[in-house]
Amino acid sequence: MLSWNKNIRLLAVFSALLILIAFGLVLYYAPVEQNMGLVQKVFYFHVSAAWLGMLAFLVAAVCAVLYLRKADLVLDAYAAASVEIGLLFTAIANFTGMIWARPVWNTWWTWDPRLTTMTIMAFTYIAYFLLRRGLDDPLKKARFGAIYLIIGFATVPLTFFSARLLRTIHPTFFGSAGAGEMAMTPAMYQTMGFSIFAFSVLFVLLLIVRTRLRLSAQWLEEQEAFQQEEEFGEVTSG
Amino acid sequence: MKNWLNTLRTLIWKDLLQEWRSKDMLTAMLAFAILSIFIFNYAMELDPRQRAELAPGILWVVITFSGTLGLNRSFVAEQEQGSFDALVMAVPGLGSIWLAKQISNFLMMMILILIVLPVYSLLYNQNLFIPGLMMTLTLGAWSFSAAGTLLASMTAQTRMRDLLLPVLLFPILMPVNMAVVKAGTGIMTGAAVASYQVWLTVLLVYGIIMSTISLMVFDYVILE
Repeated sequence: MLSWNKNIRLLAVFSALLILIAFGLVLYYAPVEQNMGLVQKVFYFHVSAAWLGMLAFLVAAVCAVLYLRKADLVLDAYAAASVEIGLLFTAIANFTGMIWARPVWNTWWTWDPRLTTMTIMAFTYIAYFLLRRGLDDPLKKARFGAIYLIIGFATVPLTFFSARLLRTIHPTFFGSAGAGEMAMTPAMYQTMGFSIFAFSVLFVLLLIVRTRLRLSAQWLEEQEAFQQEEEFGEVTSG
Repeated sequence: MKNWLNTLRTLIWKDLLQEWRSKDMLTAMLAFAILSIFIFNYAMELDPRQRAELAPGILWVVITFSGTLGLNRSFVAEQEQGSFDALVMAVPGLGSIWLAKQISNFLMMMILILIVLPVYSLLYNQNLFIPGLMMTLTLGAWSFSAAGTLLASMTAQTRMRDLLLPVLLFPILMPVNMAVVKAGTGIMTGAAVASYQVWLTVLLVYGIIMSTISLMVFDYVILE
């Protein structure tokens, strides 16, 4: 029923190519930053991963709202798959950030708004899966999960805002740049833009694949339950 | 409207009366709260000079932890005795059931606060009955019960129950924690109102957002 689609294979090849090109750009095209040196190069994938972490949460929240309106389990599979990917990329963003922060800030961790918000967001993701795990009925699982995603999504901006009221040392690149500004050359911007694009394509691919996997697993479970019921029927009637 | 208010009052009265008769929840919450203050005393070596700044933080941790304990129990009667279905059948409009639960949880938190505050004041010889601090804690308690009631109603239906509630609740409550502690510290140290006013706004906004969302989605929790 849910066979491996040719278009998905194409998308997979395309996104692999994009990621490889992004690697090339980061290593050979983007110049070495004057003050931080080579370690600054981790930044391109760090920002892209952090972006995906947030995009995934947004996609999941939109799917959650749609699920509550339409009660379609496909939407729930999309939401759960999105959270899964978001958790992975939030972890990547956090760890690449630490690799960068150790030489630059001279510490692995600081109570900066971005770091705190990302980590709290990751804990919301983890809690989401724990909640799903505690429920057996697939409809209830989907419904409660959707509610949790919605309140989680509503509180993330408030967490960020609150944490930001306390001072920050994280560099800012967009909008109002404060004391932690990092001067970027056009080549750096291009590399960053391309990495974000490459990661976004990867996100779409992963989202489709993981959702299909979830739906297949669900279908298989239903089939098994159906078969067991049939066997049980034979035993009782025979 | 008058009918609706009557229903609401009856439902809240039911919860409070039930608690008054059994006293399960409040006794456990209070014992836990006071024991935690003792633990904090020895864990943090509460020095008289640092106390003023630390008090709101410690109080809020004690209140949220014991509050979580209480939230876990708030749907037990409905679950174990199956009285929830009866309630749904008897009460017109699910909204009042929901709001009543949230308000009675909030009142429970307020009772807890009103007992913990004098105990803390007594133990540390420090007056905590400051109107500003009371207001901050009240706003915090409302936010806490708005988020907590919704999550507790979901975790009560899971296999892990009590284990799950704090894990779900604490990341959601992060802005409330920050705001209560920051506003409280500002009030305790006698800082200018303008310096902590924004935290009170955060609390207010959070309370409104959370109450609105839970009123919008609660029927998906009750729905069978």
